[in-house]
Amino acid sequence: MSQTAKVTSSTIQQGVGRRGPGMGAPVQKAKNAGATFRRLLQYFRSELPLVGLLAAVVTVSVVCSVVAPGIQSKAVDRIVAGIFGDLTPILTAMLIFYLAQGVATLIQGYLSASLSQRVVRRMRSDLFRKIVSLPVSYIDNHSHGDIMSRMTNDAENISNVISQSLSSLFSGVLTLIGTLTVMLWYSVPLTLLCCTTIVLTVVFTRIITKYMRKYYVQRQKLLGKVNGTVEEMVTNTRTVTAYNQQSDAVETFTETSDALTRTGIIAEIIGNMMGPVMNMFSNFSFIIVAVFGAQFVLNGSISVGVISAFIIYSKQFSRPINELSQLYGQIQTAIAGAERIFSILDESSEDTSGQEPAQPVRGVIEFKHVDFSYVPGAKVISDFNLKIESGKKIALVGSTGSGKTTIINLLMRFYETDSGQITLDGVDIRDLSLRSLRDSIGIVLQDTVLFSDTAGANLAYANPSATREEMDAAARSSNCDGVIAALPQGYDTYLASAGANLSQGQRQLLAIGRAFLSYPHILILDEATSSVDTRTEKHIQDAMHTLMAGRTSLIIAHRISTIQDADQIIVMDHGSIVETGTHRELLARKGDYYRLYMTQFAGQQT
Amino acid sequence: MLKYLKKYWYLGLLASLFMVCEVSIDLYQPRLMAEIVNNGILGLDRDGTPDVALIVSTGIRMLLIVLAGGCCGILSGVFTNLCAQNYGNDLRKDCFRRIMGFSYEQTDRFSTGSLVTRMTNDVTQVQNMVAQIIRGMVRCMMFFVGGSFALLRMDLSFGVIVACTIPLVLLDVGFVLWKTNPLFSLLQTRLDRVNAVVQENVAGARVVKAFVQEDTETERFESANGQLVDTQLRVLVLLSWLRPVMNIVLNLAVVAILYVGAGRVQAGAVAPGSVMAAITYISQILNGMMMLAMIFQTLTRGRASARRLREVLDTVPSIRDGDAPDGFSQAPGGSIRLRHVSFSYPGTGTEVLHDVDLDVAPGTTLGIIGATASGKTTLVNLIPRFYDVTDGAVEVDGVDVRSLGLRDLRSRVSVVLQKSELFSTTIRDNIALGRRDATDEELRAAAKAAQADEFISRQPEGYDTPVAERGMSLSGGQRQRVAISRALLRRGEILIFDDATSALDLRTEAALYEALKRDYPGLTKIIVAQRVASIKDADQIAVLDRGRIVGCGTHESLLQNCPVYRDIVSSQLREEVGA
Repeated sequence: MSQTAKVTSSTIQQGVGRRGPGMGAPVQKAKNAGATFRRLLQYFRSELPLVGLLAAVVTVSVVCSVVAPGIQSKAVDRIVAGIFGDLTPILTAMLIFYLAQGVATLIQGYLSASLSQRVVRRMRSDLFRKIVSLPVSYIDNHSHGDIMSRMTNDAENISNVISQSLSSLFSGVLTLIGTLTVMLWYSVPLTLLCCTTIVLTVVFTRIITKYMRKYYVQRQKLLGKVNGTVEEMVTNTRTVTAYNQQSDAVETFTETSDALTRTGIIAEIIGNMMGPVMNMFSNFSFIIVAVFGAQFVLNGSISVGVISAFIIYSKQFSRPINELSQLYGQIQTAIAGAERIFSILDESSEDTSGQEPAQPVRGVIEFKHVDFSYVPGAKVISDFNLKIESGKKIALVGSTGSGKTTIINLLMRFYETDSGQITLDGVDIRDLSLRSLRDSIGIVLQDTVLFSDTAGANLAYANPSATREEMDAAARSSNCDGVIAALPQGYDTYLASAGANLSQGQRQLLAIGRAFLSYPHILILDEATSSVDTRTEKHIQDAMHTLMAGRTSLIIAHRISTIQDADQIIVMDHGSIVETGTHRELLARKGDYYRLYMTQFAGQQT
Repeated sequence: MLKYLKKYWYLGLLASLFMVCEVSIDLYQPRLMAEIVNNGILGLDRDGTPDVALIVSTGIRMLLIVLAGGCCGILSGVFTNLCAQNYGNDLRKDCFRRIMGFSYEQTDRFSTGSLVTRMTNDVTQVQNMVAQIIRGMVRCMMFFVGGSFALLRMDLSFGVIVACTIPLVLLDVGFVLWKTNPLFSLLQTRLDRVNAVVQENVAGARVVKAFVQEDTETERFESANGQLVDTQLRVLVLLSWLRPVMNIVLNLAVVAILYVGAGRVQAGAVAPGSVMAAITYISQILNGMMMLAMIFQTLTRGRASARRLREVLDTVPSIRDGDAPDGFSQAPGGSIRLRHVSFSYPGTGTEVLHDVDLDVAPGTTLGIIGATASGKTTLVNLIPRFYDVTDGAVEVDGVDVRSLGLRDLRSRVSVVLQKSELFSTTIRDNIALGRRDATDEELRAAAKAAQADEFISRQPEGYDTPVAERGMSLSGGQRQRVAISRALLRRGEILIFDDATSALDLRTEAALYEALKRDYPGLTKIIVAQRVASIKDADQIAVLDRGRIVGCGTHESLLQNCPVYRDIVSSQLREEVGA
């Protein structure tokens, strides 16, 4: 007779559970779900106390939720029967159980929240540590957006599933087992009949999740495309406006946006079907119990009381099944996300073996028969031989694509040679630890990278312990003192969006200052002053003279004025050296360098 | 934001109507159940013998009704989605249209990342909010109002219980929402921070590695990660109060109803069956309130998103068509005049250009040279109106650029930017950006002049080779040459190179300038450069120094009259002067 109260609590679940499939989490299929799942479990291993506690609390709350309705129905029976004597103790007991259940749910929420955050924090941390130790070649060859989305979207999905679904999973399974046991104990045939609804539910869920997955994946793809279009059009806004492409851009965007909406509507409609259909199934199971139960009562095989118990239990039974079937999709998404995270974790890191150099670095660099190709078969560097003496200033010149930057990539071990050997002070750089190799080299790259931090922190990036005097000195030598003085709060000015508000030339000056402040044994400038005017550049070069006295420097530039006072100029073409010598020697030779020189200084042929 | 919903009001109405049907059936169905239990199974009116015929007939009735309810539910979902998603789509498209009209300064102020999140996340949030309101509001109002009504009609003392529980529930909901509300925006900021650190480490991997800063970066990440986790945990813990407290209140009310009800039954004021019904109704009321709490949660999130979208929609493009959009009074010629132009970037107050005067005759070449941050890029940005002057005027073909239609003006000016911007389509599409109707011959001619034809032909699929994300598959010099081809193909009257050849080697650069002179003689050209050789032969050269023109004339005259220019030249011809 107390089924009314039970109906209610299942409605509560429905009201909440309905968010489940409609939440918009894309259901993705993992390739090797089993292995990934086991690996995901590893993350819980060190949280075992927390998991144990959570399981205990869930058990308490499940037991309460099974016992309390029983007491409630007893109270109702008393009222119906008109026996009011022992009502107060019954109600008190009921109150205690409900309170206990409430408190247990509260603790359960708290525990699963901290569990999920601890696990995800560790997972993100592992992922980040991996990202900073990945070789440059991996990062060059993968979409940055994709790497980023693993850190945010995939980790977030896992976090959501753990915090929202873990305890539902626990309590669902517990309730299911408990209820099933009680039901079997009451009547085996009636239980089996009830199970027909389970079959229906499972079959339906399978079919619907198949379609859901298809449309969710498609929607996620289109969402990514919308993302990409906005990003590209906004980043390239200067070109879009300059070429009057706004309306074309809007047209392209509209197409994608409309497609997204169409797919989104289908996906959500399918998702929203779950609730009403499950509701229908659960009513179906009620009718089965009623019809067959009445038949069995007439047979005399069960009593009337059993039916009323079964009505409650069949309700209690269908709730976790609904929940579990909804969880199924979410868990799959989480596992797919975990798989994407693990696939990065499984990439091999940079080689960390190698020794510290025996003596202080002198800066003698030698390339011996070095071959290299980014793509197998397309050689970028072939049989490259070069010896750079300590303390010399060496310049690399040559047309775009002649392999100058590649030489730097190899020396820094951003990439590894295919064959041949590079040595520093006579030691193969592969035998040196990456840390000691890179510590001895200061580099300014073609594409200036600044960080969203203060100007001071950017300058002292490689040498955070630098004193104010040292910073001032480096800023003066690199001529970025003017840039810093022009900033509203000097060194403490925060460079928003990684210094997007600085001009190209100003960014380069800051990057040069950064390299100077690291006091490197070897300094590499790769087109580092291309956007700096020649007079400022001259100041920097004069400062470099003092700064780099006795140290090796390697300069790549197109401008002859940048390189003409180098101790040795290397002219490169198609990955090998065609000429070497000083400025004067090379001019006298009237070869490639001479021709380059003439185009620059004689002006264009008219 | 509401005006976007107007278009789809009928869909929302249909969704609500079907929802009303579904909920009504939900509310009616317990009665059939009770009928089956009381008269069918327990056989209350047949001395306790089950009535299978009644069960079957009522069961079938119930099944049909439930089926109808299910259909209503599905249809309500269909219309809700049609309404909310079409609404979201309109919103998204309008935002994008608005963004496309932004000036640079406005785009920079919002930042790319934030615009992308607004267009995706925030639109989705607002869309969810609309769907929730349509479905959830109707549902919980029906539960709430229907339940209260039925309960009060039954017995007034039950009403007292409801009156006691509702404030408790409201208190719970109010407290949690009040506490979590500010946390949502904090959460977003924390997430942005984690994103930023990862993004910088991926994009700047070489610098991090070169300066061996992996440990510092990891520390930076750990602190961002820790802050994110702390905030997220606070939100989750606060939210976890919502349901248990409501459940406790609900069950308290049930106990109270049983207690009070027992007394009323004893007094003969109500029938025992009414007590059971009262339990159902009070659960429905509280259920309705619980849903309301959920809706409020979506609402707070949705409102924050709606605000962010409104910021975009309410931003009026600062650079708009002029009053005389009919265009130029003169035929295209290509003359440019700057009169007493001063400029400071919006919101900075420091002048970057002071009182600049320049006159460029049609078909001539102007070279601009000067120190880093002397205002070269700023100056050329004023001509196609990427920014508007603070003082003075810029004229193209004799008309103030501010009075022209933007399309008109910009179709006369082709700019090659300092940093080449490529799109992830094919090389062909990148070059034909400004002129989609260009023939193959025209395309090739432009690429040839830009010295790009040779390397493009060597690409695996020639002109149809796709360009990778951020143009990474091409070298810096190749990217610049594609951008130059694009400008040349367009054939505007004015061609501006903003340090556009910095990554080209000297020989290629020389060939490019030669081709320009030969193939595009009628164009007015403005060339910003670092190398004297790039501009030496220009008809006039303007020397910029700290935002002022300190010299203007030919190479020879400047060598004689302009000390700054002489200085620049000698810095580049260091040894050559003596040689």
